[in-house]
Amino acid sequence: MSGIRDIGVRVETPLPEDHSFGNVRPILHEVLHALERLADTGEPTTIDLRALPFGPGEEERLEEALGTGEVAIRMEALGESRIVECAFPGVWLITHYNSHEEIMARLIEIAEVPAIIRAESRDMRAGAASLRRRLEESGREHESTDAATPQPHNTTHETG
Amino acid sequence: MLGNMPEKQTLGEILEQQGVSRRGFMKFCATITSMMALPPSMVSAVAQSLENAKRPSVIWLPFQECTGCTESFTRSHSPTIEGLIFNSISLDYHHTLQAAAGHAAEDAKHQAMEANKGEYLLLVDGSIPVGNPGYSCIAGMSNEDQLMEAAEGAAAIVSIGTCAAFGGIPKAKPNPTGAVAVRDLIKDKPIINVSGCPPIPMVITGVLTHFLTFGSLPELDHEGRPVAFFGQTIHDRCYRRTFYDRGLFAESFDDEGAKKGWCLYKLGCKAPTTYNACATVKWNQGTSFPIESGHPCLGCSEPDFWDKGGFYEPLSATAFGPTSALLAAGAAGAALGAASAYAARRKQKKAQESQT
Amino acid sequence: MTLLDFARGPGFQIALVILLVGIVWRILGAVAIRFSKDLTKPRGGKQSIRGGLKAILTYSAPPHELEKNIKFQHYTGYAWHIGLFVVIFLFGPHVFFFENILGFGWPHLPNAVIMVTGIVTMGILVTLLIRRMIHPVLKVLNNADDYIAWTVTFLPLLTGTLAFYHLGARYETLLALHILSIELLMIYIPFSKLMHMFMVWPSRFRTGSDFSRRGVEA
Repeated sequence: MSGIRDIGVRVETPLPEDHSFGNVRPILHEVLHALERLADTGEPTTIDLRALPFGPGEEERLEEALGTGEVAIRMEALGESRIVECAFPGVWLITHYNSHEEIMARLIEIAEVPAIIRAESRDMRAGAASLRRRLEESGREHESTDAATPQPHNTTHETG
Repeated sequence: MLGNMPEKQTLGEILEQQGVSRRGFMKFCATITSMMALPPSMVSAVAQSLENAKRPSVIWLPFQECTGCTESFTRSHSPTIEGLIFNSISLDYHHTLQAAAGHAAEDAKHQAMEANKGEYLLLVDGSIPVGNPGYSCIAGMSNEDQLMEAAEGAAAIVSIGTCAAFGGIPKAKPNPTGAVAVRDLIKDKPIINVSGCPPIPMVITGVLTHFLTFGSLPELDHEGRPVAFFGQTIHDRCYRRTFYDRGLFAESFDDEGAKKGWCLYKLGCKAPTTYNACATVKWNQGTSFPIESGHPCLGCSEPDFWDKGGFYEPLSATAFGPTSALLAAGAAGAALGAASAYAARRKQKKAQESQT
Repeated sequence: MTLLDFARGPGFQIALVILLVGIVWRILGAVAIRFSKDLTKPRGGKQSIRGGLKAILTYSAPPHELEKNIKFQHYTGYAWHIGLFVVIFLFGPHVFFFENILGFGWPHLPNAVIMVTGIVTMGILVTLLIRRMIHPVLKVLNNADDYIAWTVTFLPLLTGTLAFYHLGARYETLLALHILSIELLMIYIPFSKLMHMFMVWPSRFRTGSDFSRRGVEA
């Protein structure tokens, strides 16, 4: 089934290019202050774009103003999330989608690295346990094959 | 749907069991924090509350409604994020959505009400006809009786949609069914009014999520609506406000002003007196809202919005009564004035005559 | 019925009836007064419509001999009256209100202009009230009518400004108070000095018409 976005739309009297609904500049100022704060004190800030009364086309203009930087991250957790570093390092535009490609949340995060990207210690420990199990299992497999054909170990690994 | 998950588990445990990773959970929390109109700085507080929250039992009773509110709520679902919310509550009874019907289904409802007495959340959409109970029944029981029965053991009641909150379209003149709102019948339980015709899906979800996360009701305004979503008028958040301030109004649909996106006040927009989140949260995942699509706001989240004068009469002109009534008042005034002037003149004549 | 519903509905209708009864009663009462016919012959001009109309215009400015005494009163008086008319008749939503009743409208000014005009008008009114209370002559002449008329004129400006800026209470309450303050003004007009807005025209006309008659009056 085609979506809303597939319906052809022709704008009869588009607003002039420089028409402003008054949201882009204040947000950019907020980003500026947050970025300076981050650089000075390390304190991160998040701006929720949901609560702002954007006019038609204004969100796109904000994205243009923010620009793109060197990093683009695609995260898959409960649907896709796109995290893009803007033209200003430390400013990240985060868009959370659900599995139907619908936007669930839009945030600007001003941080060294977006908090959601960091691996949590709980996840890391769970991952380490899982990796250890995997190595132990594959180690046992190797031992049973090694008994037949001794192979030199050409990788260093920790035992125990 | 008839909750088969153990209700004593915390939400955190349930999500972990469903294989939701930490990142997935934080994404979920960021989304619902935004949905509840809380600042992003509260995400970690929300995450903490949610992890330790218990699954509340929820009973949904549809009364004299068009099912638009249920549609609105279910429209917001996908197997991922909001689906989690749907699964996070134990929706023990929803007459329209559930496949079961008949005595067994009604018994299951009563069981759920008993098991969670004093703790379950009662959701209602549709008005309650008290003129004649026969107008709207479920399984032979009138809406009014169902409401009174279910409200007794409820922790709180959420009136979803303008019909349940304020009476809605059935209550419009001449109100043939005697429709009333939930708050007209229930006086001893906390009631949250989530008004709108229908309410924005995310607003419904946000209110339920608030209850789910914090186990309490959000702050309410003078009409019992959550301030987070109904605290401001559409007018105060409308992107066309600059046109209103500059006095640039569209005079008719599709005229030059309308095409340029000018203010729709003259075409009957009720945004100045309407409290809702349409101008910021918008509809269909932020696609648009009536004013952005060129139609004046109807004021659908306000009480008696059907009877507030015409949808296409400007706010400053509406509800002064039909012009004929005003003209009649004017004519009466003029007639009385003329009569009293004539009487004064006659009196004067008499006085003059008595002098000469 | 909410306060706003009352203000817009029965409140307005009652006030309109009282206003119109009062206006017609007083105007007709003044105009239809019987005068005994003057039997003398005028020696020069006679009572004329032209004279009457001319007077309406010329009486709009004070006689130039007195001008310098009353300059302040003259200019501030005009200023706040003009400001009031601008606010009443050139504010968008007000124009739509009239359009709904009359069937036709007219162009309006941007809201910012109206708001500034309204606030300046209120400032002038306050100044004139203070003047009225401390001026050695006016102090003695003031009566209740003067103070009440000032109040019922000031209140719509004040409540309108508060409603526009959502100051002090819920918008619906402020709007209701604004409409009610206008209804109060409507009810007060026929029974007070505010009738000058209607009386001044026949009054000046009569004076001018009489003065254009040259002769003995008997």
